[in-house]
Amino acid sequence: MSATATAAPVVGQSTADESAPVRLAVKDLNFFYGDFKGLKNINLNFLDRQVTALIGPSGCGKSTLLRTFNRIYSLYPEQRAEGQILLDGRNILDPSIDLNELRARVGMVFQKPTPFPMSIYDNIAFGIRLYERLGKADLDNRVEEALRKGALWDEVKDKLKQSGMGLSGGQQQRLCIARTVAQRPEVILFDEPTSALDPISTGRIEELIEQLRGEFTIAIVTHNMQQAARISQFTAFMYLGELIEFGPTNRLFMNPSKRQTQDYITGRFG
Amino acid sequence: MSGHIVTSYDQELQNLRRSIAEMGGIAEKMVADSGQALLRRDAALAQAVIAVDQRLDGLQREIEEKAILLIAKRQPMAIDLRETISAIRVSGDLERIGDLAKNVAKRVVAISDQVQLQKIVVGVEHMNELVQEQLKDVLDAYATQDTVAALDVWARDGGIDALYTSLFRELLTYMMEDPRNITFCTHLLFCAKNVERIGDHTTNIAETIHYLATGETLPTDRPKNDRSSFATLDSQPEA
Repeated sequence: MSATATAAPVVGQSTADESAPVRLAVKDLNFFYGDFKGLKNINLNFLDRQVTALIGPSGCGKSTLLRTFNRIYSLYPEQRAEGQILLDGRNILDPSIDLNELRARVGMVFQKPTPFPMSIYDNIAFGIRLYERLGKADLDNRVEEALRKGALWDEVKDKLKQSGMGLSGGQQQRLCIARTVAQRPEVILFDEPTSALDPISTGRIEELIEQLRGEFTIAIVTHNMQQAARISQFTAFMYLGELIEFGPTNRLFMNPSKRQTQDYITGRFG
Repeated sequence: MSGHIVTSYDQELQNLRRSIAEMGGIAEKMVADSGQALLRRDAALAQAVIAVDQRLDGLQREIEEKAILLIAKRQPMAIDLRETISAIRVSGDLERIGDLAKNVAKRVVAISDQVQLQKIVVGVEHMNELVQEQLKDVLDAYATQDTVAALDVWARDGGIDALYTSLFRELLTYMMEDPRNITFCTHLLFCAKNVERIGDHTTNIAETIHYLATGETLPTDRPKNDRSSFATLDSQPEA
């Protein structure tokens, strides 16, 4: 396999770029679990090639919000969203949207690593084969490119035919990220991607997210406030289904403007 | 503000505040005693000021260690982080204030056997009293996180600078009049400069209070009236 050229990621620019174009715009979004209103009138922009962290206590709606971006909630008939979520100007809540296409454009990584029970190679190739017909050489290149972007290539290049289930937890998570990246999505959603991982693996994933930011728009739900402060450029604080405060991460963690935000991030929340 | 979910975190921040208050009390007394020692040429009082400085240095190290440990253990955010950083800064300023008061006391020991020019000694002591007031006000403002009071201290320092400049000119005049005054006047000039520097540290503390309370830093161009750098021998003494 030949080395795949990848665009140099923008690493180390930790300050928020407020002039970046809007990639994902949430407008007047309400979300219902049956009769229960899980999200209340959310308005929020996710900017291109910026990491936006969603923080808040359990049950505040941060995962619910994340799950609307690829409409994964629509697997459950009693759940519905009202309002608009514009991905490059098009409302993804529109019933005419092809969900498979949407989920290729908006990738998702979950809390627990979820590799498919197949080889490392096939874990990556599986999704690519669904959408594209590539020759073996091209497919090999795509797999390598994805594994490199997932910062896993050097560890698995000699055992691509082995099962993905045999990898360590941190490696499995990076395999899932590589699998998502292989689809060449525009947006990647991370739902607590490191809460099941040890600190070293967590550090690797954080480093990876920082690199992926050069190419993708990223939204991450995390319970770890230090992690949100470290890896994101923007942070949204949610409470009881409402967006309480949104702003550049540096400002939100040093000098939040809302009392509730301050109480939560300083560990005073009652 | 309500307490942290982890109560020992509250206690650690409270301990920092208490140590700062103790440092503030010691520094205030050192500045006042050094002024009195100068006024009365009281070498014994001056020695007491010199001796107590050790305690201040020890407290500063203690505060620094506690603050660093708190950052390592708690990873404070927002107001808690600002308070921890402010404790480190303020303890540094108070430690320097102690050093400057000690410097004045050392000069008092050096000139205690010389009795002359009481009028200008009174001038330095007057400046010392103004600085004591600044220090007291800024410490009160720190305890209550009162930005308005802190900004008041910040703005008032210009008056102390102006007083220093006029003392500087006066001392030059005495030295020109009679070279036998030079030793005494030079010591006094250093005393006045030390007192003026104490005033500068009170403004540093005022700036820290503003940062602590608002999360924003003050502009760097504080009104300064220390013109002594531009005063020369041939300048006309002020009446």
